[in-house]
Amino acid sequence: MKRRVEIGILYSRSGHYPLLSEACRAGALLAVERINRDPTKGLELVPVERDPGGNIDRYAPLCDEILTRSAARHIIGCITSWSRKEVIPVLEKHGGTLWYACPYEGFEANEHVVYMHACPNQQIVPLFGYAVPRFGADAFLLGSNYIWGWETNRVARDLVSDVGGRVLGERYLPLGDTDVGRLVAEIRATGPSFVLNNLIGPSSYAFLKAYAALGAADPAFRPDRRPVLSCNLTEVELPAIGPAADGHLSVGPYFHDAGGDDAWLGSRPGEPAPAALPGRPSSFMAAAYSSVTVLADLLAAGLDPSDSAAFAGRTFATPLGRIAIDPQTRHASLPVKIAHAQGGAFETLVTLADRLAPDPYLSRYDPAKVFARRTLRVVS
Amino acid sequence: MRRGGARIPNLGGARALVLHRPHATVTAILRQLSAIGLEAAQCWPVLPPEALAADFVFFDADLGFDEQFPWPPGEAPMPLVALIGSEAPGRIEWALSQKADAHLPKPVGNSGIYSALLIARQGFEARRSLADEIRSLRERVAERQTIVKAVAALGGAGLDEERGFAQLRALATGWQVTIEEAARRVVAMKAGKDDDDRSNRA
Repeated sequence: MKRRVEIGILYSRSGHYPLLSEACRAGALLAVERINRDPTKGLELVPVERDPGGNIDRYAPLCDEILTRSAARHIIGCITSWSRKEVIPVLEKHGGTLWYACPYEGFEANEHVVYMHACPNQQIVPLFGYAVPRFGADAFLLGSNYIWGWETNRVARDLVSDVGGRVLGERYLPLGDTDVGRLVAEIRATGPSFVLNNLIGPSSYAFLKAYAALGAADPAFRPDRRPVLSCNLTEVELPAIGPAADGHLSVGPYFHDAGGDDAWLGSRPGEPAPAALPGRPSSFMAAAYSSVTVLADLLAAGLDPSDSAAFAGRTFATPLGRIAIDPQTRHASLPVKIAHAQGGAFETLVTLADRLAPDPYLSRYDPAKVFARRTLRVVS
Repeated sequence: MRRGGARIPNLGGARALVLHRPHATVTAILRQLSAIGLEAAQCWPVLPPEALAADFVFFDADLGFDEQFPWPPGEAPMPLVALIGSEAPGRIEWALSQKADAHLPKPVGNSGIYSALLIARQGFEARRSLADEIRSLRERVAERQTIVKAVAALGGAGLDEERGFAQLRALATGWQVTIEEAARRVVAMKAGKDDDDRSNRA
């Protein structure tokens, strides 16, 4: 007899980030399907789904609805930090847990959230550690005008100053704004070593296309000379950007490239993903899938996944590799990979860590360690 | 713990003490502090000797009293965070007398602790640098009379103040000291010379 467990799914199927939320939703549902077919788990996960429709004010009421009208205690959901912060009071009130499968800006460790994607020490810090020795330390920082861009660029300013570089410009666009002409002109005028792109959605796509046009006109701005760095660009968004993404760098716990172990997708490495998936697999999809996997592992072991102690001393086999959840911060220990986009996919250039412990408050940040490679070069 | 330097607020390894009887609020604070990366411990009813080396002290405003602290009220050598449950005016007044740099309302949940740490640290450092500035200004004010004496001595029987002051300033620049210090030296030299004169006369 299988144990029946309802779990909440809270992703917007329309609005500003349909590509990201469809990827996460598909990952979560694919994992549910797998677990329900797995006789060793003894579980029947029943999704209780609500769709806020991209309306930020719908997240809290719908989270409340899941927690009060169903038996679900665990919700896989939310893309933006804003929506996550909206549902936290509801989770605290009803004792629910959110499994959050997106990279975010850090500086949070809530007892009602499990953070399944990268925080700053697993994304921007190693990305700079990789890029600065190769391209130089002078940065141009871009962002959409909200918390992700502000906070990630704030960390970037500190990293640049710690390594003796200069911030040659820092510009923000309103969400959805695609008027990128001035940004590109400023980048051309200042000639930074690289551009950090924290624009999101259509602003980001418009920028990358305009930057590719600049690279075509002036080879000094081609990606091999002055790349665009991103902490959250994945396969999901490549179709919206096209060839303009080629050569630019991203960081994440997973990239879907040849040679990877993609058994979780039910396809061989390099083969196209199952037709039911919305687009190419990505770290968003893998992190949402992993959320359900970890949840199911704990349930199958008879543990309470809302209790941080359940994470202690355990590892979990997931599409992100064998990961752990730090019981203190409830953030995942994750692989750190640097990849560049090529022909609509990502190609992993280097795996910097297989399982890097989370440091959401950057309390253990040490410039000497991050930029050790550069320091050695300077000495030699 | 590093202070200054990188603007990433580096709290890793900082030490915090929570002066509060064992309580769910303390458990929540200790959990959050260790998630942020601090080494934290609870204590009650008094702060242990190692409190003097702590980077932060959280204290209970509800049941707290002056004798818990190994320093006079308002003179803590580190940032303080008051944990306020009862909003009785007397308790708030007492918490204020300790010069807490931030406060957290009880019960304490998952949020608020990180901002309390940063606010307390900045408030404490601003207060300390203001106190340093006030001390140095007080010292300078106290030397006003010395400057008047030095200018008089240099100006020649107080006839030409402007010349005297210009000369004092030139001396301070030459000796690479403050005007006040230069004035002290001039007055001391003058006193020495007067003593010599007196002894010659004797």
